[in-house]
Amino acid sequence: MNPLKKTLPTWYYAPLRRVVQSLCLLLFLVLFFYVCWPYSARPAPHPIGWPSHYADGLRAKEIVEAESFLALDPLVSFSGALAARAWVWSLAWAGLILAVCLLVPRGFCGYVCPLGTLLDLFDWALGKRITRFLLLRDGWWVQLKYYLLLGTLVAALCGVLLSGFVAAIPVLTRGLLFVLAPLQLGFLRGWHQVPPFNAGHYVSVALFLGVFALGFWGPRFWCRYVCPSGAVFSVFNLLRVNERKVAANCVLCGKCSACCPFDAIQADFKTRTADCAFCKTCRGVCPTDAIKFASRWDNVDWKEEEEPRYSSPEGGEHSPSGDGRPTSERPAALWGARVGSRWGRRGFLAGALGSLLVVLGQRRLCGSVSKTIPLVRPPGSVPEEQFLQLCIRCGECFKVCPNNVLQPVGFERGLDELWTPKVVANWAGCESSCNACGQVCPTGAVRALPLKEKRVARMGLAIVNQEACLPYAGLQPCQMCVDECSAAGYNAIEFMRVRVETGDEGAPIEGSGFVAPVVVPGKCVGCGLCQTRCYQINAKSKGWLRESAILVAAGSGKEDRLLHGSYLELRRREASRRRQEQQQQINKSGLPPGQDIYLPDFLK
Amino acid sequence: MLLILCQLATAGQATPVSSDPAAAKPRTKAEVEALIAAAGTTPPAWWSSTPVSYPPTLDLTWKKPPPNSGWDPSKNLGQYIWSVINENPGKWKEGARLLHYTLEVNKADRGKLIQSMYALGTLYHNLLQDYARAAFWWRKAGAADDEWANPIGVANCCWKLGCKEMAKEALTKYGSDDTRHGAVIKLWADIGEFDSALKVAETKAREDDAYMAWLMAGETCRLAGRYKKALAYYGKVLTEPGDKGDIKQSKERAKASSEAIKVYDLLDLKRIPDGTYTSNSYGYAGQVFVAVTVKGGRIESVKVPRHQEKQYYGSLIETPRRIIEKQSVKGIDTYSSATITSEAIINATAKALSSGMK
Repeated sequence: MNPLKKTLPTWYYAPLRRVVQSLCLLLFLVLFFYVCWPYSARPAPHPIGWPSHYADGLRAKEIVEAESFLALDPLVSFSGALAARAWVWSLAWAGLILAVCLLVPRGFCGYVCPLGTLLDLFDWALGKRITRFLLLRDGWWVQLKYYLLLGTLVAALCGVLLSGFVAAIPVLTRGLLFVLAPLQLGFLRGWHQVPPFNAGHYVSVALFLGVFALGFWGPRFWCRYVCPSGAVFSVFNLLRVNERKVAANCVLCGKCSACCPFDAIQADFKTRTADCAFCKTCRGVCPTDAIKFASRWDNVDWKEEEEPRYSSPEGGEHSPSGDGRPTSERPAALWGARVGSRWGRRGFLAGALGSLLVVLGQRRLCGSVSKTIPLVRPPGSVPEEQFLQLCIRCGECFKVCPNNVLQPVGFERGLDELWTPKVVANWAGCESSCNACGQVCPTGAVRALPLKEKRVARMGLAIVNQEACLPYAGLQPCQMCVDECSAAGYNAIEFMRVRVETGDEGAPIEGSGFVAPVVVPGKCVGCGLCQTRCYQINAKSKGWLRESAILVAAGSGKEDRLLHGSYLELRRREASRRRQEQQQQINKSGLPPGQDIYLPDFLK
Repeated sequence: MLLILCQLATAGQATPVSSDPAAAKPRTKAEVEALIAAAGTTPPAWWSSTPVSYPPTLDLTWKKPPPNSGWDPSKNLGQYIWSVINENPGKWKEGARLLHYTLEVNKADRGKLIQSMYALGTLYHNLLQDYARAAFWWRKAGAADDEWANPIGVANCCWKLGCKEMAKEALTKYGSDDTRHGAVIKLWADIGEFDSALKVAETKAREDDAYMAWLMAGETCRLAGRYKKALAYYGKVLTEPGDKGDIKQSKERAKASSEAIKVYDLLDLKRIPDGTYTSNSYGYAGQVFVAVTVKGGRIESVKVPRHQEKQYYGSLIETPRRIIEKQSVKGIDTYSSATITSEAIINATAKALSSGMK
């Protein structure tokens, strides 16, 4: 007997699936922990022009799109597109995987989904050893995934994007982001770099761990009953081309239903086609080679309808036990005792109504976005309303953001902003050489801007608090914000000498007063580097201030939130308008044009 | 203390008095005069690419602000130049363009016109270091009205343009120095005539503002490499009475220069006993701590045991490496993209070393 058969039976019976799953999980982890790890980028020793090492670093590593698995999760793009009433680029990816899944029904769940693979690992390592919590009966939960799918889609139709809370890949990316990414950052870069957690973090981690804990109720409980992304594939299985079929030589041994991780085998050993993930493990275990994966319309010589009988004429190691169940397998087969459709009309209505209530409640609770102080969003974010309709809260932008400028919003702004990215300029400023957040956003909530566009895209405007700012208040010389701004290449903060003392006849005393910062609105993009420095040194280290004296603010007139179009073009138009205004001012002074010459004739 | 540290960072890197006698090639008097005449009458290269630009609230007619009206750079031209143009290198050319524009605006008022010409000389000299045009416009102002003549300023321009003789010729007319900022002493020092500079300083100290005389004497000695003597002069500045206006500024300059001499100029590795010395300096996000080990008059290692920096990249390794390679804290290239961290390491290393000097 092959030793693999005993130790790793699923590898033995369905090797292709396990190999594909392993490769997909590996790819996912590489994309998440390596490609989305920004700190391998190094600046050029002698940079010429605008630095671009973070953007270049990501581009060099991103042979496969970092957000590939998010783009493949069809619920991510469906709900985003539905909520924003817009084309979302990852719809094409979702379409592709759905097309593949017509041939390999629910193949995403069985072969590709890294969360599914991790759940398999969990079930193998823990779930199958702790059996006391196993749910051996059916209940309302068997249709939960459809309710969740319906609920999120109805919410999306009403313009509220809730799918990110429960869709498979966002649940996974957020979970890894809040559980493992801090460890990666802490061990490799230092613990002082790990941002503090808020309640939103803990809820997300609990949700993530909950997905695994469901495994105690049954193997891949999440995938079978809860995952709304999986439900999309289940629904599309109605259009399947291929399906699992059982031939007439079935001996009713029950091994197939015992090994099925998706609870897709009915009591008569035929297929619950909405649930079958084409893992083909059952074909491997079948002693009589009776299970085929064939065309849906191939109707030759298949098993006839009959009542299940748990008896087998064969003996040996595969022989069923007295109650008709295979001895060496877990009693999952019992769960398959249901026959017929699992679609309940009442459940459907409940799902739809429930999500409507959530949407209405949410609107009541949080009010409209414009009533609150606007948050500083990542550079290239689309207008706030569309942003909230597109942001799936996968957390990919947090992972790829150097120094964690982007951090998740907690519960303070209501559910519809939970886990969305905000710029925390007290923690760090947006790197001038980086455009990563837009590159990895799976829905286009943050646009994938080229660096030359990103560096002029205003995410906010720095505002100096003249009562707190040390030089304005006449307390200390300080020019840290200006240094930061010019080091980053924006040169958006200029100097002005204030509190100048005057001697006799009003002449200024050399060196008197303080040089204070003045923000140039046309140049400031709101990166927050200035605020970081002021906060870290003047407030946190020295305790001279309670808050940074220069704060980045967002809102109308302070930021550019373009759905499409060029930020460079916007800046060019502004510059030409300013030039015109200046010219008008000179014309108004009454001097004929062209009179401002170097050495006027009357002085020669 | 912060002020001193801020100035330390720059004072340590640059020479104390702004002079680079080697910069201009030597020229004869006739050559310098030709240069001033040629440049003074033609616009500079950046002229056409720099538009006239100024705040709409600004008055361009040099109106004297009413007494006790406060400081308002958005209205008063002189205050705008002082507070905004002077402080922003990116606006220097714009400022020159604006002043040329005020020649036209004020052409009917002779007094204001002269003021514009003089301000142009000052801007070309102090900011753009365009000494030919500075001399041209200062002379033009002085020719129109003796009150506005600036012979020391023009002499300095000639020296910068390569003619030491012209500077000397002008300076010998002065027995003492009655300028507010000790310009005569400073120019004597700049052209390398340190003894003449100190002689004038001694006279000024008796007859005029002693604090400025001693400050300039200190600067002279620092430039001449006589650091001990410079420290003594700076010490004299601090004992002068008064702590307001120019006196306060002079005392702060003296303090900063003394500090820089101790930390950078007098630093002698041979005089530091073997051992490890520690110090710290503010970096990007807090104190950067440095431990320097000296052995046999050499910097053996520079370590950064503690810091809170985020954007440090290689500077934590690279800057110490450069310090060890150069065996000095002077003239170390800061590490790109982490300049602030680099500077903090350099400053902390310098302080640590100077604390160990015997």
